[in-house]
Order: sequence, then structure tokens, then C-alpha cells
Amino acid sequence: MITCTDVVRNFATRPGAVAGLAGLSLDVAPGEFVVIQGPSGSGKSTLLLTLGGMLRPTSGRVTVAGQDLHSLTTSARTRFRATTLGFVFQLFHLVPYLTVRQNILAGLPRPDASGRARVAGLINELGLEERAGSLPGTLSAGERQRVALARALAKQPPLILADEPTGNLDPANAAGVFRRLDTYRRAGGTVLVVTHGPDAAPFASRVLRLEAGRITDVRSTAQVAL
Amino acid sequence: MSLVHLIFRELRHHRANALLSALALTIAVALIVAVRLLTNAAERETRRVVRDLGFNLRILPRDVDPGEFWIRGHSDKTLPADAVQRLATGAGTFVSFNHLTPTLEGRIPLGGLEAILTGLGPSITGPGEKKQPMGFNIAVGKAYLGQTLANRLEAKTGKTLEVKGRPLTIERVLVESGSDDDMRLFTSLADAQAILGLPGRISEIKAIDCLCLTSEQDPLGQLRKELQRLLPEAQVLQMRTMADARARQRQSAEKYAAFAVPLVLWVSAGWVGVLAALNVRERRPELGLWRALGTGSLRIAGLFLGRAMLLGLVGAGVGYMAGTTVALHYGPEIFPVTARGLVAEPALLGWALLLTPAFAAIASFLPAMTAVVRDPAETLRAD
Repeated sequence: MITCTDVVRNFATRPGAVAGLAGLSLDVAPGEFVVIQGPSGSGKSTLLLTLGGMLRPTSGRVTVAGQDLHSLTTSARTRFRATTLGFVFQLFHLVPYLTVRQNILAGLPRPDASGRARVAGLINELGLEERAGSLPGTLSAGERQRVALARALAKQPPLILADEPTGNLDPANAAGVFRRLDTYRRAGGTVLVVTHGPDAAPFASRVLRLEAGRITDVRSTAQVAL
Repeated sequence: MSLVHLIFRELRHHRANALLSALALTIAVALIVAVRLLTNAAERETRRVVRDLGFNLRILPRDVDPGEFWIRGHSDKTLPADAVQRLATGAGTFVSFNHLTPTLEGRIPLGGLEAILTGLGPSITGPGEKKQPMGFNIAVGKAYLGQTLANRLEAKTGKTLEVKGRPLTIERVLVESGSDDDMRLFTSLADAQAILGLPGRISEIKAIDCLCLTSEQDPLGQLRKELQRLLPEAQVLQMRTMADARARQRQSAEKYAAFAVPLVLWVSAGWVGVLAALNVRERRPELGLWRALGTGSLRIAGLFLGRAMLLGLVGAGVGYMAGTTVALHYGPEIFPVTARGLVAEPALLGWALLLTPAFAAIASFLPAMTAVVRDPAETLRAD
């Protein structure tokens, strides 16, 4: 599903270039639930946005779902994102002037009848029925993240990229989010979560350690459990 | 969800910014409409005021000696009365001359005094112009009297004067002018021709120059060249001080208009641009999100430009009404002479509705394009 080969991403700063990713290589197979852990500034978000086609690597190659992402034109990459990728962010990034239902519908490339039915199902499944007409500003953090999750799931993408999805949630809500992502993975989806905490590890098929823009440690679920 | 629906929802959500933006556009349109109406009024007022300074061109028979003319105060030679018609129908006349008034003047004995008789024909203005006639429009058999002459003759309005056997009813006694007009008897051209025994003749054509050039720009040279082409049997004298004052006043009014309107436009554009930039700044996470969700650049640009255009329409409508109300309320006090000419211009509403959305879109274009090309990673990264 994902292949990164020697990916370097530098950021220009006043003292000089700083490496966000420093020759990172990574393979994620379809149906995997991969967790990438690392401290702040280790390059987790940079990696996720590079995989999402929103950040062009300085060098190296990124292939997602068989597409060399950064060889696509901007509009083709936009279309690719619309159909293939689902995003969940730590800060939720809900459109503040759209209701819960409209925010979830906004994730659909074409909100047809089946898409609407799917959205209605997700609203019920995630316990948002009573908040469907509310604006994000009136929701709790847990509710907002469930809306963001529903938006990512609504278009049934083959890959969901989650950036610190539980960073602002209490343990109960955090576990709920990972459980739902695991359900999605069991249904055939692929999940890649970047986080600095350990909450996602129990759901992961692999846990990778990211430090200074490089993968420094790889552990299987069994190793994590030990 | 349609683009328009999104725009309306966003406007409702970011009420303060939307209101400030609409207010900026409303004030801009109101200022432009008010400045435009008042500038037009100022130009009309200036034209009227400088016109009321009087005629500044004297078109005389070519053989009149200017020295004797100034000593005598009028021409002793005459032109055929149809000279004014020929001048009026000449190509390009009204580029250089306007308010052509055929005049016949001469000294006459009146009640034991010597008075100046001035016969005035109707003024001719440029084709299609709605200009007020210059001077007096006196009917045959009527007369206007200068103040000193009226006092000496103990003449009053409504009385009849007999001039060389011709009865003239005094229609008006003029206020003291402090010039030789105070010893003038004004009549129609026909009455003056009859009294002076010069039927079909005029002694001069009084006029105003249209060039509005100051003395450094040599208007007299151009006027003489034109007159030579249009009426070769005549010569033109210019009352330079008056002409210069008139030209300077008009030039000053035109310069003011040329400065005020662009200034208002630039200030408004800057204001709208700043507000658009603030809106984009406030919505950066939202923009990153739309990009992450795979929303195309065109739709994102549409969100911002559509918003600007919608606010532009509101600003145009409200601003037109506000500007017109202000101009019509305060204008007549500022420009009392031409107050009646100050009316609403519905055509301005059409222009405002057409140009304000375009103007708002242009002012928002840079922030909107910045939003479209902005790297979504900048706003979405939590690292």
C-alpha cells in the first residue's frame, strides 16, 4: 500500500536547512495497522503529510496505492487524495460553519445516495445522532474526533492516515477511536497512525520508532505486548 | 453542498469579518457615489459661478480700433446680425467659443442724460447643451434699467419710458453693479436696432471661451486662429483677468475630482484587501483541510472570490443608497446656486452593482490565490 524509498524532506530555516525526514524508507502492506511513534519534532507529521501528497519530498520516492505520488500533477494528486486517502488530525480540523452531518458529507468526493446512507450509518454508529445538526464549536473534543473519524471513513478509502488522532482525548475516547480504526482495518482498510503516546500500540500490527527523521526501531505486535 | 450554500454558511459564521467587509465596501461605494454627485455639483456650481463672472470674449468687426473701443466702451462699427448664426454653425465653434450673444450698443440721450443702450439678442449655446442663457432675455417692448440711470430718471418697475419715440415698459431695475452697467438701458436686440437706426446690424458678439486655458497656455492665440477660420470679418478681444480666473477655477475643480475619486478607490481597495487577507488568515486550517479532502483549487478560489463578490453586491446596493442620501441631504447646502441640478443618478447604481463585486474580487484576489497555493501542510501539521 505504501512504499517510501530514501525520502528526505528538508525545511529551510534561518540558520540553515533542517531535515524533517532524513532518508526514511518504509513499506506498509494492505490491511496493516502501522503505528509510528516518536517524540515531538521527530518528523511524524512531516511523514504523514508527505504520504498524503501534501508535502513534496526534497528527494526520494513515495508510492501510495501504486501511484508515485509526487510525479502526479497537482490536480491529479488532489483527485487521488479525494478518492484514496482519509485523514484524521489531532486538531480535528472540522469546518466550523458546517454541521456535524455536513462536515462528514464534506469528506465524500460525490455525495450520492449511497454516500449519504453511509454517512447516516456512521452518525448512528459513532453515537452522533443527537449532534448531527450541531456546529463543531458546540461539541466536546471526543465528539469532534468522532466526527473527523466519520469523515475519513465515509468515503471508504483504502488508506487512512491519522496524525495524533487521540492527542486531545481522554483514554476512553482514545480507545474508542482506535477500536473503530481497527474495525476498518479488519474490513480490508490500511491504517497508518503517527503518535507520541502508547495508546495505539495494542491495535497495531507493527510499531515503528521515528527519531530525527529516520525509522530507528521496528517491533511486531507480539514484541509490543511483551 | 453547493458553493453558494458554503459561502452563505461561512458568512453567517464569520459575521464580524463579513460585516466589516460589507461595511468597507458600503463606505467605499457611498463615498464614491457621494463624491461623484458632489463633484458633479461642484463642477456645475463652478461653471455657473465662473460663467456669472460674465462674458470674457468680445468679438468685434475687424476694422474696429481696439484702442478707441476701450475708450468709447463700445464698437462704432457693425457686423450683419446673421454673423452670429454663421459663427454658430461653423465647424468647431463650440470647442473654442460658447454663449454667443449678439449685441448692439450705442450712446443715446435719455431724460436729459446720456445713457448706454444695450440691445441683447438670444444667446446661442452648443448643440445638445442644456445651458442657462447668459445675460438677460428681454422681450420686445421691455427694458431693464441700471440702478444709477433709474435713480436719475426716477424710473420704477412698470412705468413706461419713451426712447426716440419708442415706448418701453420698465420690467426690472437692476441692483447697483459698480460698473457702467449702472448707466445702461438694456432692451431686446430688435428694439435697440430700431432706436439706433441700425436694422439687421450688431456691434459685437459677446462670448465665453470654452478652452479654459490659463494665460501661460496662450488661449488668445488659439481663439484668434479659430475666429479667422470661422468669421474672417471679425476680431476677438479677450478680458484676460476674467478668463484666467475662470480657467484657474475650472482647472482646480477638475484636479480635485481627478484626485478625490482615485484616492477613495485606492483606500477602499486596501481596506477590502486587508480584510480579505485577515479572513484567509483566520481560515488557514479550513483551507488546509479542504486541500486534504481533495477539494480542487477552483472551488477553493470560488469560496473566497464568491464571498467577495457577494459582499460586493451588498456593498454596492447599500452604498449607493447611503451615498445618494448623503449627497442629496448636504449637497444643496454646499452648492446652493445649482442645488436643483443635484439629483440621484440611477446609472451609478448599475455601475456600482457591476463594478463593486469585480472590485471586491480583485482586492481579494491576492489573498485568495495565496490561500489556494498555500501548502496545506503548514496548517495541518501538529508536529
